[in-house]
Amino acid sequence: MLAFENTKCECGHQNPVGTVLCESCGYPLEIGEQENDAPLEMRYDGIARRSQKSNPNVIDRVWNFFSSVKVAIRLIIITLLAAMIGTIFTQENAFISFDPSTYYEERYGWIGKWYYKLGFSNTYESWWFILLLVMIGTSLVICSLDRVLPLYRALNKQQIRKHSQFLTRQKTVYTGPIEGAEEAWTSSIGAQLKRKHYRVHQDGSALLAEKYRFSRWGPYINHIGLIVFLLAVLLRSLPGWAMDNYVTVAEGSTVQIPDTKYYIKNEKFTIDYYTDAELPKELKGTSRAKLYETRAVLYTCSADCDDPSKQPQLTEVNRHNIVVNDPLSYKGLKAYQFGFDDTPKLKAVNPVLIDHKTGKTYGPFNLVMKDPQLTYNLGPYTLELKQTYMDFALDAEGKPTTKSREPNAPAFVFVIKGPDLAADGEPYMYFPKQNDKVRFSQDMINGELAKRFEIKVPSMTGVEFAPVETSLNIRTDRAMPYIWFGAAISMIGLIMGSYWQHRRIWLRIDDGEVTLGAHTNKNNYGMRAEVASALRGIGVVVEPKLLDNGRNKS
Amino acid sequence: MKKNRRMIQLVIFLGVLLLGGYAIGHSIFAAKDGQLPRKGSKPPEFALLGTDGKTHRLSDYKGKALVINFWGTYCPGCVTETPDLVAQYKKHNGEPLEIVGINLGEDSMAVNNFVKQYDINYTILRNEANDVQRKYGLRSYPTTFFVKPDGTIMDVFVGAMAEKDMDERITKLLKS
Amino acid sequence: MSLLDFSSDAFIVAFFLYCFGFMFYGITALGRKWSDRSPEEHVRRWGRIAYFVSLLGFAAHLTFFFTRWAGGGHIPTSNMYEFMTFLAMAIMFAFIIVNAIYRKPLLGLFTLPLVVIIVAFAAVFPQEVQPLIPALQSIWLKVHVTTAATGEAFFAVGFAAGLMYLLRTVDFKQTSEKAKREQRWVEFTLYVIIIIIAFISSVFAFRGAGYEASFTQENVTIDEKGIENSTTETVEYSLPPIFKPYNSQVVAMDTFLGMKEPLFETPHWMKGVNAARKLNTITWSIINGSILYALIRLALRKRVGAAIHPLLGDIDADDIDEISYRAIAIGYPVFMLGALIFAMIWAYIAWSRFWGWDPKEVWALITWLYYTAYLHFRLSRGWHGAKSAWLAVIGFVVVMFTLIGVNLVLVGLHSYAGV
Repeated sequence: MLAFENTKCECGHQNPVGTVLCESCGYPLEIGEQENDAPLEMRYDGIARRSQKSNPNVIDRVWNFFSSVKVAIRLIIITLLAAMIGTIFTQENAFISFDPSTYYEERYGWIGKWYYKLGFSNTYESWWFILLLVMIGTSLVICSLDRVLPLYRALNKQQIRKHSQFLTRQKTVYTGPIEGAEEAWTSSIGAQLKRKHYRVHQDGSALLAEKYRFSRWGPYINHIGLIVFLLAVLLRSLPGWAMDNYVTVAEGSTVQIPDTKYYIKNEKFTIDYYTDAELPKELKGTSRAKLYETRAVLYTCSADCDDPSKQPQLTEVNRHNIVVNDPLSYKGLKAYQFGFDDTPKLKAVNPVLIDHKTGKTYGPFNLVMKDPQLTYNLGPYTLELKQTYMDFALDAEGKPTTKSREPNAPAFVFVIKGPDLAADGEPYMYFPKQNDKVRFSQDMINGELAKRFEIKVPSMTGVEFAPVETSLNIRTDRAMPYIWFGAAISMIGLIMGSYWQHRRIWLRIDDGEVTLGAHTNKNNYGMRAEVASALRGIGVVVEPKLLDNGRNKS
Repeated sequence: MKKNRRMIQLVIFLGVLLLGGYAIGHSIFAAKDGQLPRKGSKPPEFALLGTDGKTHRLSDYKGKALVINFWGTYCPGCVTETPDLVAQYKKHNGEPLEIVGINLGEDSMAVNNFVKQYDINYTILRNEANDVQRKYGLRSYPTTFFVKPDGTIMDVFVGAMAEKDMDERITKLLKS
Repeated sequence: MSLLDFSSDAFIVAFFLYCFGFMFYGITALGRKWSDRSPEEHVRRWGRIAYFVSLLGFAAHLTFFFTRWAGGGHIPTSNMYEFMTFLAMAIMFAFIIVNAIYRKPLLGLFTLPLVVIIVAFAAVFPQEVQPLIPALQSIWLKVHVTTAATGEAFFAVGFAAGLMYLLRTVDFKQTSEKAKREQRWVEFTLYVIIIIIAFISSVFAFRGAGYEASFTQENVTIDEKGIENSTTETVEYSLPPIFKPYNSQVVAMDTFLGMKEPLFETPHWMKGVNAARKLNTITWSIINGSILYALIRLALRKRVGAAIHPLLGDIDADDIDEISYRAIAIGYPVFMLGALIFAMIWAYIAWSRFWGWDPKEVWALITWLYYTAYLHFRLSRGWHGAKSAWLAVIGFVVVMFTLIGVNLVLVGLHSYAGV
């Protein structure tokens, strides 16, 4: 590895351990380097990284581990591969309710089984993936810190007169005889470079011209931004910093947003589809959504909020027409259009009671599915509601039961009282849906009574459906400003480092012979053009290509 | 200079250990959405209307052994375990035990008929909004939580309980 | 003539101009030794003609883009066809920028065929203007997609230059183990490109001939309650079925070269949407690509790489290396801005979270991590030349998988960009 002993340069400067190029004159210090004439390795200006020490202890070793770019690249590649594996099968968090321990095996066979067993079905929330991110974050901090401070020092106190080997081993080099006085020649090229926005420092016949040094800080600013971003992401896991809830609100109703004092009302929900005229001929006849919109009103609860026996007192605080891409936003709380349910659900029917014996019809009466009225007076008869089944079925013992609370197959048990009937009434079972009536043979159940009475909905107008439901995703995310801040810093640093290049030109004149070396961290092509143009300015014509120090070609 | 540097190194490592440890710990231990509260944790708070017309809160039951049973008339397992719950409540009459049955969003008639049919002697709460079951992370019914007098969960039973399951747990609960 | 018809005409014009641009770049490279002028003079003259024709193509492409925008009412970046055409346009834009900096005519010899292939590939997808679904009705459709594609376009130029570097430097005469390995991989890269060309040509050839076959496929699934549900679906093929869908019946099938029956059945584990059709298409592409490759080999009587290598003889390898790196370095911030930051902003507005580990998001992150590694390899580990060029080539494979592969192979929220 590095030769740690010989750190004193021939110019007399004492360099820290691990220095590649003398901090003062730029003379190469590594053993064997002096005899070489290949272009110098100018990375970090040849400075010693902070962590390089001759006898490291445990802390130093850990520090060195994280300060190595090689390790950083490995971490990046491992993260990349892990992220790839996580996209092979759908991750657990994409499902709302399922059993991952059987799903993957059933669906993908033994590969799926192992995918689940190895924890890849939840890659991005797994401890080892988080560990990788933490390690990358650590590496970002330590790598940057280890390099930026020495680099700052090196660039801040630059020697103008460099060793001639330092100059001739740059990638852009010019040597040639000069005419006239040495200092005058240097000054005149200095003037040329000033015009190209260089900052020029002259020391007798030696010169250092430099521009866009700030671009060297770009990568570090970028890293700071990334660290801020990662910390902001971590903030989100603090209790109370991020909330993620879903509410389903039927048109016209108001519901409480769980865990908050807010209530939200759905005044109207609209779905629009593109008309055939708006669709290209390949898509005509298909239903393509144009708009999902919830006209929402947000309330806060001012009193009686936590007592279900009282109505909460609500105060309107905000209203907004929520569409996809335009959520409601109030004091950090956001409500997003997430979905809807417009499958028709029975809400109420308005049936009539027909007495076949007399041929008379009584009613209609309003029978709602949810919390119906218990007695109905129809002419001489009274209907008492005894039992309801929202999703009628027969259980294993043949007893009536309900499969769910959704009115998929509603059934009502009435007791009919009135003239010519038993004193405590006679039971009658009513299925509002025609197909249920046939499926569960209503007339058989009701027996003799079915011949006399019939409850039925006379027309479609007697059927009411529940309003469309919208589902909204309610979020608060207090870390968002920090996330955007981190991203912005990172982006600024990246742009600084990418679109500007740090350029330096050194020259010295020894015995009427000029030696010019130029360095840039990227775009040597532009560097050469600029040097050639400056030389042309004082009457020295060189093809940019000839400035290329081609000795690195193998 | 040297000392300063060592200090910076230590501060950074400490920061990494704290923040990184928190991040990793969070990924391992954080309760995910849709998960049942774990044994030893405190069940989420609720305030619900009972069939008696009064508001019942979880905090009302502090200091007593509490069984929270989520049920619906449409769930066969709930129906079969109801008589056993009734019997248990009768058996431990006078002891500091409360049983609370939280109905899953059915209307008053369904609930009232059911209460009458099975002579339910313990507290029945209605939860039309269905938000409590979500808070409790229920995935299937019935699910029963056994809460110790100190307010922590002793056990969670998913599915219909046999009389033995119920008896064992309630006895243990009363001893704690 | 409506604006949209005009727009599609402009697209065809752009395609042919790009083809001509490519041809002229070919003449620029090939004609050096044949023409009576000095090689430098020849390259300068023909390089300028080729560049001019390519610029005309770009102008036609811009015309296509803006007339389609005006005619369709929204920016044409909302489905696979529109996105791929935009990507091709962005690659031309990136090429113009890089060419303005470095003035290397022969970069066009590699960039233009890439543009031609992507334009042709775009035309495989349905081309009608589809009105925007609610999720896409946002200003971020313009901002996110265009910046992300521009970043990717610079990566594409980096790829073109990287491939050029490899073809320039890999010595096809050497027989050392290392040289042989490099030769094989360069040749394999070219073979893959030929397969892609074959895929596009097969689709158009059979589409031109009006080939059709359709099947009904029965899917049996068992739900939670243990009840068997079977659904039947119709699967349409536009290429002759080498593989028919698993458990399917032929409804109608045109004969092809005497082939009246599908040859094989897709194995049952290939479920997925249209898995069988994709397998069939891939099989056709590989068969036709191999035939095409064999024909080219026969005509050239040497490896394709060995044939291209001498054309690049007098280009400075270091310059191409720098062009490849520079294109990527220019594209990297643009990509990060478009594909990650703008994507996060839009995701936050539309889906309520800035990051959700959706496959497309993950692959954008993978692409970003990949190029991050590339830059660190180059800047801190000093990976130049061949290593760097290989990374640029592989990087573009990652980019293309993110753009196309994710939609075809994986599922997720970006499904509307599918086929």
